[in-house]
Amino acid sequence: MKEKPDKKEQPCSRREFFKVGGAVAAGLQLGAVAGAGLAAGKDPSTHSGWQHLGDNTQFVDRSKLIRKGPAFHIVGEPTRTLRHESAFERQGIIMKNMQQYKDMINSFDAGEERIEGRGNMEAPDPPQGPMKYPPMDAFEEPMLSWYKDRPDLYEADKVRMEEIMPRRARDSETYKEYYTLINAWSGSWSTREPITEPPEVSDFKIGQGRKIGDPMPFKSPAHASRLIKKVAHHFGATMVGITTIEPDWHYDFGLRGSRDKGSYKIPEHWKYVIAFGIPHQWEQANSNPNMASSFDAYSRSTIAARRLETFIKSLGYPARRHSPMDGYDLIGVPYLVKAGLGEQGRHGIAITPETGANFRSAYITTNLEMEIDQPIDFGVEKFCEHCQICADLCPSGSISRAPNNHEMNHRGYRHWEINQTTCYNFWMQSLGGMGCRICLIACPYSRKANWLHTMARKADTADPTLAVAKSLTYLQKSIFDAPEAQDFLPPPDGEYANFREPPEWLDVQNYLDIEARPPRKDRMP
Amino acid sequence: MITNLVIFAFLVGLLTGAVLVGAHSWARSLGLLMNWWKWLLSSFWYFLLLFLLFTAFTIIGEGEVAAGLKTLGFSVVLLVILGAGLARLLLTDRRRPES
Repeated sequence: MKEKPDKKEQPCSRREFFKVGGAVAAGLQLGAVAGAGLAAGKDPSTHSGWQHLGDNTQFVDRSKLIRKGPAFHIVGEPTRTLRHESAFERQGIIMKNMQQYKDMINSFDAGEERIEGRGNMEAPDPPQGPMKYPPMDAFEEPMLSWYKDRPDLYEADKVRMEEIMPRRARDSETYKEYYTLINAWSGSWSTREPITEPPEVSDFKIGQGRKIGDPMPFKSPAHASRLIKKVAHHFGATMVGITTIEPDWHYDFGLRGSRDKGSYKIPEHWKYVIAFGIPHQWEQANSNPNMASSFDAYSRSTIAARRLETFIKSLGYPARRHSPMDGYDLIGVPYLVKAGLGEQGRHGIAITPETGANFRSAYITTNLEMEIDQPIDFGVEKFCEHCQICADLCPSGSISRAPNNHEMNHRGYRHWEINQTTCYNFWMQSLGGMGCRICLIACPYSRKANWLHTMARKADTADPTLAVAKSLTYLQKSIFDAPEAQDFLPPPDGEYANFREPPEWLDVQNYLDIEARPPRKDRMP
Repeated sequence: MITNLVIFAFLVGLLTGAVLVGAHSWARSLGLLMNWWKWLLSSFWYFLLLFLLFTAFTIIGEGEVAAGLKTLGFSVVLLVILGAGLARLLLTDRRRPES
């Protein structure tokens, strides 16, 4: 095309204008996309499990994820958990056998705490002076026989009581200023409301000892289920599932509120279990294990459970809460799986589509007839078989590295199993809010719910070849930095590391006018 | 939130339009003999650039700065390689550039 003669005289042709304009637009677009990416990454509404508390009971449509078959395969004779088999409950038995603790007023007894409905209590600091663990023969049956079968756990308990707990007491004192805010944060969630009567009494009482009224008839079990899920959600539960009672999944000792602390029969009015979960506050959960707490989600799930228990009782149905702060009579993870909230991961805890492993659960047992949910399959079992990120990062080596759980038989059921005793030993080595939640937050399913990770999770669920899962695991291990497992340990083996840097609001130096010495001078502010 | 998204999408749409017009002018200026598949390849490269940039900055925004920078570095290398191939494809067959 020939140009008009006078066009050459123009200082800027139309084409030149478009060329420059296009280049400027491309630059602006790149800037806009980078800015939008930053905003998408920072957006607090993408903290997994906290996206919204609107009318939708659950975020994920589970109808497409229902799997065939039972929640767990029975591979032996199912048995219930005895007191000494639980590392936390065993602590009480141990302390009663240790001279140093016998001398303490109000000695800590995790088992008694739980039976009395006081839930998960922290162990107190040990008394002054050298600690001497009793010889194996000093323990009574059935713990004595159990120790003889598991001498490794006797040794682990001995190390905890003689070395780990005194060291924690010493380091907690040394660094107490540095952990002022996280200790205040953790402690402020620790409200308790004990259950003091057996289920046959307490489950039928409401308020100040008033007996519950006649049961209100529902239009159908489906209506009851729908209402309970909506209400539980408004009480704070992120996801809710309903299933039926499995007697094998209840402790075989210490029914809360009962004077008889031995074996008990499951109460007849416990027919259904409502299971729900609430995630940890996002920023502090990422700074596990030392600058974080379990008690935020413990407290939230407990309060939701108290509200839901009262709601059900108000409709004339007996109900009992099982929650972190008020104690449990049941084992939670199997119920989470059976109620379709998630699948069990390699780290032994449940992984849900909404929150990954980053949540804490509570339960209500009742006889209100409801429509039940089915177990789901969104690829966790296969993913966990090759991932192993939690096992890589576990400072106590408590998470199995077995290729799969096919050979595992835990009280008659096939499922992932961790070494609870060595796990508990690391709890006692962490500072700050105490405990450890690294496997919860390092789990790839626990990543943020922004567009990037949501897309990755959906691609993984839809891919039966595991190619996406393997690629994502490779990317997470190679691109995202994390401390080595040993770094989480106390000096000299480690440096009290955290999975990620703590949020600014947990840094004492930003708010308090005190001298605070961090245990990791090279990496902490 | 929705309002912000709509405004953002509107502005990005305007910019995309300007980029398309500018790209067309650049192609004519350089004398590129563009056809549908060359436009498709060029668009793919440009949207890959946007996508990888968005991804890297999302990761940085999450607080994973090191991971975001690694992603950005990998993206630059990938885009330079693909861009060089694309440029060679477009520039080998062209008429005399228009002034």
